[in-house]
Amino acid sequence: MQQLLNGIFLGSIYALFAIGFTLVFGVLDRLNLAHSAVFSTSAFVGIELVTRAGLSIWVTLPIIFVFGGVLGLVIERVAFRPLKGRHDAHFAGLISSIALGAMFLALLQAGFGPDTRRFPPDAFPQQRIEFAGSTVSLLQLVIVAVAFALMVGLTLMVSRSRLGRGMRAVAENPHAARVLGIDVDRITALTFALSSALGGVAGVLFALNVNSAQISMGTSIELKGLAVIIVGGLGSLPGAMLGGLIVGLAEVFAVTYVGSSWRDVIAFGLLFSILLLRPQGIFGARKVREI
Amino acid sequence: MLEFVDAYASTITFMALTGVFAYSFYAVLVAGQLSLAQAGIASAAAFTSSLAVPAEPLFGVVPRLVVGIAVGMSVGAFLAFLLGLPVMRLRGVFLAIATLAFGEVVRILLINQSWTGGAQGLSFPKLVGIPQAWLALAAVAYWFWRLGGSRLGRAFAAIREDELAARAMGIDVSRHRMTAFVTSGAVAGLYGVMLAYFVRFAEPNAFGFSAAVDGLVTAVVGGTTLFIGPLLGSTFLTWLPELQRAIGVEAGWIRPFVSGLLLLLVILFLPGGLAALIPHRRRGTMTHPDAPPDLPPLPAPGTPIASLRAIRKDYGGVHAVRDVDLDIAAGEIVGLIGPNGAGKTTLVNIVSGLVPPSGGEGTVVGIALGSGVPAHSIALAGVSRTFQQIKLFNRLSALDNVLVGAHRVSRPTLLRRLVLLPSARRDEKRALGQAFAQLTRVGLADRARLPAGDLSYGDQRRLEIARALAAHPTLLILDEPAAGMNHVEAQRLSVLIRALAEDGVTVLLIEHNVRMVLETCTRVVVLDFGEVIAAGDPATIARDPRVVEAYLGAEDDQEETA
Repeated sequence: MQQLLNGIFLGSIYALFAIGFTLVFGVLDRLNLAHSAVFSTSAFVGIELVTRAGLSIWVTLPIIFVFGGVLGLVIERVAFRPLKGRHDAHFAGLISSIALGAMFLALLQAGFGPDTRRFPPDAFPQQRIEFAGSTVSLLQLVIVAVAFALMVGLTLMVSRSRLGRGMRAVAENPHAARVLGIDVDRITALTFALSSALGGVAGVLFALNVNSAQISMGTSIELKGLAVIIVGGLGSLPGAMLGGLIVGLAEVFAVTYVGSSWRDVIAFGLLFSILLLRPQGIFGARKVREI
Repeated sequence: MLEFVDAYASTITFMALTGVFAYSFYAVLVAGQLSLAQAGIASAAAFTSSLAVPAEPLFGVVPRLVVGIAVGMSVGAFLAFLLGLPVMRLRGVFLAIATLAFGEVVRILLINQSWTGGAQGLSFPKLVGIPQAWLALAAVAYWFWRLGGSRLGRAFAAIREDELAARAMGIDVSRHRMTAFVTSGAVAGLYGVMLAYFVRFAEPNAFGFSAAVDGLVTAVVGGTTLFIGPLLGSTFLTWLPELQRAIGVEAGWIRPFVSGLLLLLVILFLPGGLAALIPHRRRGTMTHPDAPPDLPPLPAPGTPIASLRAIRKDYGGVHAVRDVDLDIAAGEIVGLIGPNGAGKTTLVNIVSGLVPPSGGEGTVVGIALGSGVPAHSIALAGVSRTFQQIKLFNRLSALDNVLVGAHRVSRPTLLRRLVLLPSARRDEKRALGQAFAQLTRVGLADRARLPAGDLSYGDQRRLEIARALAAHPTLLILDEPAAGMNHVEAQRLSVLIRALAEDGVTVLLIEHNVRMVLETCTRVVVLDFGEVIAAGDPATIARDPRVVEAYLGAEDDQEETA
């Protein structure tokens, strides 16, 4: 039971991170590899806001949401928009986002140094709750609540709002969307902003959960994020949520029953078998190629 | 000079090794594949070689490093082959992530083994210095240099640009992709072994995701369309930190920042990587554009070329083609007409093997149609085609497009090119002659150098025909070749098609321009709702009331709007 809960906590952070990943992929067909840099940067800035400015975590989270969004706008403007219409945009986008991500991390090092940073001990009430024979910290509950609120909000937005309709139109066919009067550039920029805002919040929640943040913290979650979006289906929001939970649970149980050194084999083994058995993922739809 | 080499010995060696690693990415990128398994493969190769390398030269003569390299490259090639078997179906990002996952699994497996030293790593003897590293780089670079102008190199480029068109030109796409994969694995294995015996240490964690990304970055920054690219990439990325150190930019964060910035600038402003800075010569003129004299003769007029019996194709509940009988004999120009959605393109996709029929039987150029028949084998047997939506290899020159078309009638040249045999040169010349002859045939000889994507619409249509002709086809299928052409151009095309038939090529022509079909063809087949509603000589078809009703409708000027 305890393992189940731990898996859900871990999984919901993975899901939150992966949703940002998959959102950009679903709409633009591009992988944004600077996403993990947003994750680390936001965690550091979040810790700074709580430690130095003495803000409460409840004020910090919305600020980080906005901060992540701004980073997303920068990523889109600098690393992706200039590549528009280039035949090698696929490879080039991977590389340019890696480059920009490396620059973010360099700036992070300039600002905060290479050391591990932590939230102050009183940043969050240390309350623990007994639940069906297991112990759950208030923090973990909040992580799950925030992650799910954001995911549900995002899903509603994509299916109901005007922006969401625009996103789906651009995802389906950018040319047709443009002809219909949709401002494709604006939709694209907002998609990046939203994606990075979620990535930023995921970073802060992750840092709260393990109570530490390193500059390299994004790298391992980036791999997990890729596993999650493939398992759930590239471009699918519910897929990313479910995928996150599956990978989180699989990891926690792998540590318990197989040993921690094999933890990552589970995630990647899962990813590999999904790719072979059902390349479109659990929720993804297969796109048919025209002849 | 010597002082410089001494001072920077390790950087100079790393530059060569980074170059070798970048070539392992180049090997797949030239064929349009993105693989990230190379780091994992390199580490598996390095650790395996540690088990095999003897303490003394083998048999007293074979140097220890050579044993290590042989083992490492074999392990690399074998692992790439194993990985390739299941993932060959995947494309693009899916392929990248699957290979990445494979690399990670290899890493974790190695960490959990005792013979690799686990996370502590393993010591290796020092067997590699500047000469060995540069020799390895030179050998790998030489391989890819000779690959560039070979038939295999052109086939890779074709697959990178358009897989489907490559298949229709007789290229076995799966086998070629696997070849690229295995080559990449062997080069990655070479890198792993060289690196371990240079730094005298290896640990599985050093070959993780970041290592794979670094290799990819090196290859892409250098450029993936010219063999020199990986070398340029490794020069740039190896010396950049040294340069920064030399001018005193040392603060912890500045170096990664500047590296990131430069990388960003290169990728944004130099499409095609650093190699794009090198002016490259495109072949484009030829004094004697002669088709090779030794091409096999085409079948005598009247020989059956294709025969379909009750061929069907269903998509879900839609019957795209129903019970079609069709016979084509050598020397004929068969016109296939019918309203939009009549099933014409589906029918020619069946004939050219791109789509298996759902039912019925058929034989095309001696091959029985069915789901197990790959498209490239029908192309190799002598069916060549153009596409309704133009599918050229846009970034290749017009000449190179047609050279890919000549795949079927040319011989593999890579191995002979590697040892500089003159016969390889003769074969390349022969293929060039064939290509030029086809460009001349369609009137594009003066545009041979231009990238196909830069040609006008009408020229692109004619280039597709030239590419299809270069295969010396028995049966040429033209899917709406006159679409978008004006009256004069269509007229000229009609003359060309009749000239081809006189040379012995059998033609199956789909066209909406009814006047052109009636003028050009010796026999016309009319399809409607997937069924043959009429067939006969042009004069009969033009008078057939069912045809007039189904296809021309009440108006008689339908062909103008088509």
